[in-house]
Amino acid sequence: MSIQTTQLCKIYNQDTDFPVHAVKALDLKIEQGEFVAVMGPSGSGKTTLLNMIGGIDEPTSGKVVIDGNDIFELSDKDLIAFRRDNIGFIFQDYSLLPVLTALENVEFVMQLQGHSEAECRARATELLHRVGLGGHLHKVPSKLSGGQQQRVAVARALAPRPRFVMADEPTANLDAANTSELLDIMQQLNENEGTTFIFSTHDPRVIKRARRVIVFEDGQLTEDKSQGQVQ
Amino acid sequence: MLIKLAWRNLWRNKLRTSIMLSAMVFGLMGVVAMMGFMTGMYGNMIENAIAWQTSDLQVHNRKYVDNPDLKLIIQSPDRITDALAEIPEMKAWSARFLVDGMVASARSSRGIRINGVDSYDEARVTPLASKLVEGNWLTNEGRHPVLVSQKTADRLRLRLGSKVVLTFSNIDKDVTGAAFRVTGIFTTPSTGFDDGNLYVRRGDLMKLAGIEGVHEIAIVLNTTNSKIGSLFSNELALQVKAKLETANTYKLNSIRDWQEIQPMLATIISQIGVSNAIVLGIFMLAMGFGIINIMLMSVFERTREFGVLMAVGMQKHKVFTLIILEAGLLGVTGGILGVCGAWTLVTILQVTGIELGAMAEGVGALGVDTTLYPQVSAGEYFLTLVTVVAVSLFAALYPARQILKLSPVDAMAEKH
Repeated sequence: MSIQTTQLCKIYNQDTDFPVHAVKALDLKIEQGEFVAVMGPSGSGKTTLLNMIGGIDEPTSGKVVIDGNDIFELSDKDLIAFRRDNIGFIFQDYSLLPVLTALENVEFVMQLQGHSEAECRARATELLHRVGLGGHLHKVPSKLSGGQQQRVAVARALAPRPRFVMADEPTANLDAANTSELLDIMQQLNENEGTTFIFSTHDPRVIKRARRVIVFEDGQLTEDKSQGQVQ
Repeated sequence: MLIKLAWRNLWRNKLRTSIMLSAMVFGLMGVVAMMGFMTGMYGNMIENAIAWQTSDLQVHNRKYVDNPDLKLIIQSPDRITDALAEIPEMKAWSARFLVDGMVASARSSRGIRINGVDSYDEARVTPLASKLVEGNWLTNEGRHPVLVSQKTADRLRLRLGSKVVLTFSNIDKDVTGAAFRVTGIFTTPSTGFDDGNLYVRRGDLMKLAGIEGVHEIAIVLNTTNSKIGSLFSNELALQVKAKLETANTYKLNSIRDWQEIQPMLATIISQIGVSNAIVLGIFMLAMGFGIINIMLMSVFERTREFGVLMAVGMQKHKVFTLIILEAGLLGVTGGILGVCGAWTLVTILQVTGIELGAMAEGVGALGVDTTLYPQVSAGEYFLTLVTVVAVSLFAALYPARQILKLSPVDAMAEKH
């Protein structure tokens, strides 16, 4: 099980005089179970890359192949279903539904998969306990701190048992203590459940924990280092 | 979960939703009360016309309808009245002798229709006997009693006991007449009717006219009541008319129901639905734009959120359903509250009535009472509710469509 990109390109404003090449002819392979950080300066194309391999942004050219299938060959409906079942997202601003409680936010994505209410309730409760929010199940996001909200977002991303989790600068709004706790949680989940985590970040605390670091500049992969090389 | 999410989203901005709901509730109360007022007014007009003027059915000599000549009396009236006695729906009937003539007092004179009636029968057919403002109903006692309207009394400066002279052409086309004494003064809801009618005993009038017989048989059926459904329907009158036709030898007489006698009433009935639809339509249009505005604000300020929902695997049809549900819940809530408020208002007005005050003179010309009672049927409440919900759903289509056009990443890139 892997994600493989072939000559992946993304050009914004393609039909204008000032096209922006966000990702240029990228060939990349990420195996299941990896804990990968994509680093680079702002505007280097990290988020665009995550969006494309997460199936929410269509490339201008090239392929994103998961399990041997080019995901952008799927119909709109099938691609949404694919994302729902295989890919979890964690966003910089948490992006929780403000009208739902922590528990309901986590249950919600499982309900989209068609799980029973009891199943959703059990797994969501378990995940929230694992991320240390057992005492905050029924609080709405506005009653939680930034770190707690991001932990709810992690639980939400993991609830549908995805094989890949795309985390777009997940620690950008967190302090050192929350960042460390969050990374501990994600690392445990990666090690225990084999979930692949792909981060976009320029946070050295995240890079330090990553087992593989991909360096991105001007839409191009400039370095691809394993844990030892990063140290 | 979608319904729960939609309901909570609806109340995300409590002030905005409350303002919209208040607008819907007060607007609906106003619109339904207005429709009720119109229906009540038209209903009252029809009810009064039937009660005071047309009755449910009238029988005339076929030629009399086009040319109200004294000699054109009803052919074989006994056959008609015998047939009436056999009809269970028949409540009462009154045979009238009608003459167009002049009424003169010492002060003035004017043209008038002289209704010669049997005092007992007429009292059962019209509410005249119980609605006298002064004096008494016609009796068989006394010489030449006459009932005049308040309006005629004012114009001719008459009061109880005043003497008037009635003149008209008799069967030989000679002018005939006699002095009558005012024994009662009446008023009806129709100023036009009051202006042109007075009542005397049929026997007195026939003697002066030199001809026996009746020109009109007015028939009241048992179903005349305040229920709007039957009030606006002449179905029973048509059924009875069909039965009476069997007694109408050689079709010499004309049997007409109230809609045929006053075609304007039929026009009014057909008009009620149209005028109510126009009032409702204008309100719904205004409300629809209000809801579109609310939904546009509510949906577009959450564009990023919808992008996230699509990113995490919510199918587009479910995003669409969510937006439509939000609008639907707004419509259902506003509609139910509005209809309940309207029902309460209409129920109160049905007890207190709406005093027309300064408009009384004007509506009197239309045969409408000076106090109106709004009438709104259960069907109209339901139609209003359904229309509100339908308009709400329709109003959400545009914002929903705009969101669905976006890819998750484009929606998430929106900054609101």
